[in-house]
Amino acid sequence: MTVKIQQIDDCRWRIPREGEMRTEGLVFADKKMIAALQKEQALEQVRNVATLPGIVGPSMAMPDIHWGYGFPIGGVAAFDAEEGVVSPGGVGYDINCGVRLLRSALPATEIKPVLAKLADTLFRNVPAGVGSERRDLKLSVKEEHKVLEQGAAWAVSHGYGSAEDLHHIEARGALPGADPEVVSERALERGRTQLGTLGSGNHFLEVQEVEQIYDPAVAEVLGLFAGQTTVSIHTGSRGLGYQVCDDYLKMMLQASRKYGIALPDRQLCCAPLTSPEGRQYLAAMACAANFAFANRQIITAWVRESFEQVLGLSPADLRLSVIYDVCHNIAKLETHTFEGKQRRLCVHRKGATRAFAPGHPETPELYRSVGQPVLIPGDMGRYSYVLVGTQGAMDETFGSTCHGAGRMMSRHAAKKAARGRNIEAELATQGILIRAAGRATVAEEISEAYKDVTNVVDVVQRAGIGKIVARLRPLAVIKG
Amino acid sequence: MGGFRLLEHTADMGIEATGDSLEEVFIEAARGLRSMIFGNIPIKAAQEVPVEVHGSDSEELLVGWLSEILYLFEVHALTPADFVVEHITASTLRAHVQGETFDPIRHLVEREVKAITYHQLSVARDAAGWRARLYVDL
Repeated sequence: MTVKIQQIDDCRWRIPREGEMRTEGLVFADKKMIAALQKEQALEQVRNVATLPGIVGPSMAMPDIHWGYGFPIGGVAAFDAEEGVVSPGGVGYDINCGVRLLRSALPATEIKPVLAKLADTLFRNVPAGVGSERRDLKLSVKEEHKVLEQGAAWAVSHGYGSAEDLHHIEARGALPGADPEVVSERALERGRTQLGTLGSGNHFLEVQEVEQIYDPAVAEVLGLFAGQTTVSIHTGSRGLGYQVCDDYLKMMLQASRKYGIALPDRQLCCAPLTSPEGRQYLAAMACAANFAFANRQIITAWVRESFEQVLGLSPADLRLSVIYDVCHNIAKLETHTFEGKQRRLCVHRKGATRAFAPGHPETPELYRSVGQPVLIPGDMGRYSYVLVGTQGAMDETFGSTCHGAGRMMSRHAAKKAARGRNIEAELATQGILIRAAGRATVAEEISEAYKDVTNVVDVVQRAGIGKIVARLRPLAVIKG
Repeated sequence: MGGFRLLEHTADMGIEATGDSLEEVFIEAARGLRSMIFGNIPIKAAQEVPVEVHGSDSEELLVGWLSEILYLFEVHALTPADFVVEHITASTLRAHVQGETFDPIRHLVEREVKAITYHQLSVARDAAGWRARLYVDL
């Protein structure tokens, strides 16, 4: 089915309102991206989201949009807190899949001589891949409940990192309203052995070098300098989050029937935000989000330990501190100005990042003059970007921007492209070491399988919904 | 004769299963899932775990069935070898998952499957028999 699309300017496209749509669609993309998008169903998904009750403003897609389940990946949609709905499909299976960026005091030149040892140590200390876990972290049911309520703060109170870390995490590492009682036994079971694990697929742990600074004044505020060693952690709520999504999709299928919500796609099932089902999902989703914040906090502690072990430096010399930690898959109750009025909204960001402007009270004090840091991973062979939020994002996208590169090749196509090649050796010639647990991971995650993230952040910057600060180059990549 | 094939999707993957009966198509879909996670490594049918799933139609039942296999693997370390369907209606499935305890040395994992989705989910009968299609989240 072709979707009508009209060009607004060189990085905005409108999907006009028609049929069951309650609002129009707004896609941030350049001409080339749109041509590629018309070959898949992502635009149809933007249109489908526009049919949901209580949507405020357009159904939006960021330039890294691709075909997802129900909502597209790269989708942003806001719903009125009273009239609107919440949809587990608008958050995704990996609830609070997100990225954390650590800065260090070390120039990359100091770690390059010991990079292989550092990669091995990180791979040993941070469990990656299916079934991998640390034997020294065992959770009781009671403790797991506390993780779900307290998020990253639970990890800090158990010796993983410091209280200072919490200042630099979205929502300070704990979403309010988390209620472990509405999380199923099964979700708890899946989570119990997976706290402090990276997972697999596109999740990763990366040691990086600041390759280029685009905005020196903002970079200075974020504590970034050219040639610096940084570390990125990309993971989420693991099996616990997948199970919460699964459980609530089932509940929402029933709820959609109960509340008479017509669904163009079952995966869009939802419930009114004011309904018991809607409230219950938000309470369970907050638990999964908090699990993910705790997960990244624990991994951070193991990253610090690994650096200390390999480099023989003290924490004071390393100064591996959290720049920021953002959610890529989440629904949040926020207040935004829309058409001149203050509105309470539930903003769904599925494969999208919050990007609050300078001066926003939710941005950590340290960064308030420059805007909230936005962390955009690319692929394992190229680069990642650091951006900050802008007023443009507040005005147009409910303070949201892109989240990554987005796949371009299917896994089968990527494997075919990698056949007969030694990807590890190819990356090594570029100075990138890789350690991966899964058999298919390296081939399926080759650079060519992803869009060039530079094109994505370029559109975001031109559209004014994010500002590029720095580019990071991978040195060592740990994958599941 | 039934069978399965893995479907291409930019970010994820799918399974198309066929069979002469609903029972067979459910078994083939499960074999598809097993192949997606483990490729075609040998797995012994050393133990058998009973499973009962309910759904409002055969499509929801299929999601429930495959989700159960993921759960047994993830939480109970049951590496699936094969599947036996004992009883199936449009809303209830009673089956057995045969397999052995996960051994990370022998059971090399190709890729992790996060969840079974409802996206473009279908279970239908045509002139050639039964056909099911589903996508997973990777």
